[in-house]
Amino acid sequence: METFEEFVKRILTILFWFLLISPLIIFPVLFLIVPLLGIDVTLVNEILTATIDPFKAIKLADRYGVGPSSTFFKVAAFPGFTFAALIATLTILYERKLMAKAQLRVGPLYAGRFEGILQPIADLFKLLGKELVVPEKADKTFFWAAPILSLGLGAALLTVIPLSPTTYIARSEFSLLIPFAIIGFSPLVVLIAAWASSNKFAFIGGLRALHQLAAYEIPMLLSILGIVVLTGSFDLMEIVEAQKDMWFIFPQFLAAIIFYITILSELERVPFDLPEAETEIVSGWLTEYTGMHFGLLQLGVYVKFYVLALLFTLLFLGGWNGPAFLPPLAWLLIKLFFVITMIIFPRAVLPRLRIDQLIRIGWAWLIALSFINLFIAVIESSLGVI
Amino acid sequence: MPSNLDTENQLVKSLTDQFKNKIKTEYVKHNRIKISTNQDNLKSLATSVKELGFEQVISHGGTDYPDNNVFRIEYHIICVSKKKLRSIMFSIMTEISKDTPEIETLIDIFPSAEFHEQETYENFGITFIGHPRMEKLLLPEDWDDIPPLRKDYTLPGRG
Amino acid sequence: MQNSAMNIEDKGGDQLVLHVGPQHPGSGHFRIIVTVDGDYIVGAKPDPGYVHRGAEKMAEYRDYIQNIPHLERPVIIDATGVTLPYVLTAEKIIDVEAPERANYIRMIMAELNRIISHLYWLGIYGIFLGHSTMFMWPMGDRELFIDLAESIGGTRVTFSYVVPGGVRNDMPTNFKERALKTFDYFEKRIEEYKKIFFNNPLMSARTEGIGTLDKKDAIRLGITGSNLRACGIDSDTRKDEPYCLYDNVDFEIPTRKEGDSYARCIVRLEELQQSMNIIKQVLDLIEPGPIKQVIGGVMRGEPGEAFVRTEAARGTMFYHIVSDGEKNPYRVKISVPSFRNLIGMTHLLVGSRLADMPAIYWSLDYWPVEADR
Repeated sequence: METFEEFVKRILTILFWFLLISPLIIFPVLFLIVPLLGIDVTLVNEILTATIDPFKAIKLADRYGVGPSSTFFKVAAFPGFTFAALIATLTILYERKLMAKAQLRVGPLYAGRFEGILQPIADLFKLLGKELVVPEKADKTFFWAAPILSLGLGAALLTVIPLSPTTYIARSEFSLLIPFAIIGFSPLVVLIAAWASSNKFAFIGGLRALHQLAAYEIPMLLSILGIVVLTGSFDLMEIVEAQKDMWFIFPQFLAAIIFYITILSELERVPFDLPEAETEIVSGWLTEYTGMHFGLLQLGVYVKFYVLALLFTLLFLGGWNGPAFLPPLAWLLIKLFFVITMIIFPRAVLPRLRIDQLIRIGWAWLIALSFINLFIAVIESSLGVI
Repeated sequence: MPSNLDTENQLVKSLTDQFKNKIKTEYVKHNRIKISTNQDNLKSLATSVKELGFEQVISHGGTDYPDNNVFRIEYHIICVSKKKLRSIMFSIMTEISKDTPEIETLIDIFPSAEFHEQETYENFGITFIGHPRMEKLLLPEDWDDIPPLRKDYTLPGRG
Repeated sequence: MQNSAMNIEDKGGDQLVLHVGPQHPGSGHFRIIVTVDGDYIVGAKPDPGYVHRGAEKMAEYRDYIQNIPHLERPVIIDATGVTLPYVLTAEKIIDVEAPERANYIRMIMAELNRIISHLYWLGIYGIFLGHSTMFMWPMGDRELFIDLAESIGGTRVTFSYVVPGGVRNDMPTNFKERALKTFDYFEKRIEEYKKIFFNNPLMSARTEGIGTLDKKDAIRLGITGSNLRACGIDSDTRKDEPYCLYDNVDFEIPTRKEGDSYARCIVRLEELQQSMNIIKQVLDLIEPGPIKQVIGGVMRGEPGEAFVRTEAARGTMFYHIVSDGEKNPYRVKISVPSFRNLIGMTHLLVGSRLADMPAIYWSLDYWPVEADR
């Protein structure tokens, strides 16, 4: 065993030689080998300065077609994946604080000095530092695929949803249908994760998720049909524009309630968190996932959370419409915050339902109600309410 | 405490009338009755006690007496539904030889004794004939020492 | 290794064998092996013993005083509930009697412990149904009662407060006003509990008609405590065979006829109120006086035996002590309520849904450490 002094000495020696040798390698590579390959040395300098100067970084990115106005930036940063992931992590923090206040606790408090604002980053490093445990009898390919698929699915949902008249990744005439088509794949991801774990509790959780999602996808689709009837369009842009005078939550109140309930179910939130009911089936389909695997699955779920909350805002709360003293995006985010609160809140006041009760609500009540809602929409449309 | 032993004496009398000298009244106190019998009559005694209205085994256990080479087995039986009998705890007791630690189970009369008898089995090595699960309940499954509540088992380090 | 529980294999077909516990968020230190067919449980086999410490054997190696903290360990959540019957039994063997004031203080402690234990149960029941707020609230309010008990007993949970001949020390002079203040606050909280949990339609959908225990079955299987009272039998040892001075106070025994999980919840909620009523009455009745009958030298019992039952938080606690005149007891038999309620769990689980398992399991207030001893 080496003593502590020896340990420190060893580390310092390594650091010293690294600092000594690395310039000897890096600078020749920068100024001798890079020009030989035909790359301009000034570019290398620009890259190095761009790492500390954001304005230069934007300029540089613009030059290579990845600047703020490029498609790549839209997909990767704003309003695409990075923005969604940021909202998702903030949602996790907000959920923890809100739950804590409802339960007379303080919640995350220490990370970041102010009310635990840096807790998501601390959680990220905790998850990154954990060992990825893959069960011996798991189906390795699918076990690794599930977290990536989950996140990919969440990211794919972002493509056609606009955040304001000017902020969007891609425009489509069917931007209302595309997200719902993609959401239809999410039971598949759950089933892959559950099956690949080869764990009985995960298996039961996967089956529950499948039953649950099958029971709720139909009322979810039927509830938005009313809006399509009223506007005659599948384009989210046009749907939001149609709400300039009146938000659709007033003529389509029933649809809003059905959509809200199905969001809770789709996101496996209390009272519909059966696939992860921890006192019954440990953690359901997430049982065997550890470390960053678990992190990616959770992130995928919370990106889906963001997208569904956004859809509710766009469909029923008038999207970015609002008085002109605030930019459209700000109105959208304010409404989004309200919807996210509404989705989180049942967790503080409700217990969990049982699978048979849940399926009865889905198939017997919500589908019937959404047909009634469709009738209401047809009548309203013929009376010319909108 | 000044007490009236009418109910207790009445209960004991009805049993002594039935069993004559097959049973022995150990004592009758306020709210406590203890009757001992031999191994063969335990089951019929238990049936009669149940007919008197006592319906739950609140406790069942054994005690090891190495000097006499016997285990003493007791069932403490209470009544919960009849107001008059609620205050009384009825104990029936028998002694079985340590050489043949076997006795008939009472769980067909008192189902509530099921886990208690299983516990007595693992702690004393007494087999209850007719009990459906004569297996370890609380002890580790690989316990192969002598049953721990016998007096010849001593705690390690306690001599 | 001969492992009887492990012999159960998957039966093939549609049936699946699940080992719920001992490492399961909904099991405690305890395993229950359930066979499910679809969503229904077709077989349930409890496998206790993971926290078995041989308390009965170890008690034979300790004298009457040393046994108090020792026998407290299985049920620290209801510490007075488990030591009080032991001390009452030991008092019969040693032949001492506690003075009046000591008996009243014992009652206060026993009832405080009942509240503490019931609130703990309520918190866990909330989280077992997925209601996380109902986990946090009772756990927080429980601290107030722990503070009250600490002001008498000196520690938070393991008081070792009741001793043969009386109690260890007197209660503080300002106890009455502190207690009344806490009760005033908690009575308001009970209304809030009802609003958020007991009158919640989803909560009743999960528990009403679930795990219904028939009155006859309850008697036959030896169910005890609140579970028995939820089946419509008003049996309570505090009334049936009053110990301490419970015949001086006036209280009700809450009962329900339904016998389902919801009835068991409501009975426990009402018992909280009754316990507070008892303490209030005792605080009016209690008068200054000696708190302990001092026993000189080592406590030795006469050869003989004694058995005592009391009403602990989970049901009737029974002690049987045999003495041979030595300073250590010859045999200590403890019959704990959780162990007797275990048989009811098997009975109720078979035929119910897997999702109802936590709702049934914890509505019986089964405490694995207590059952294993």
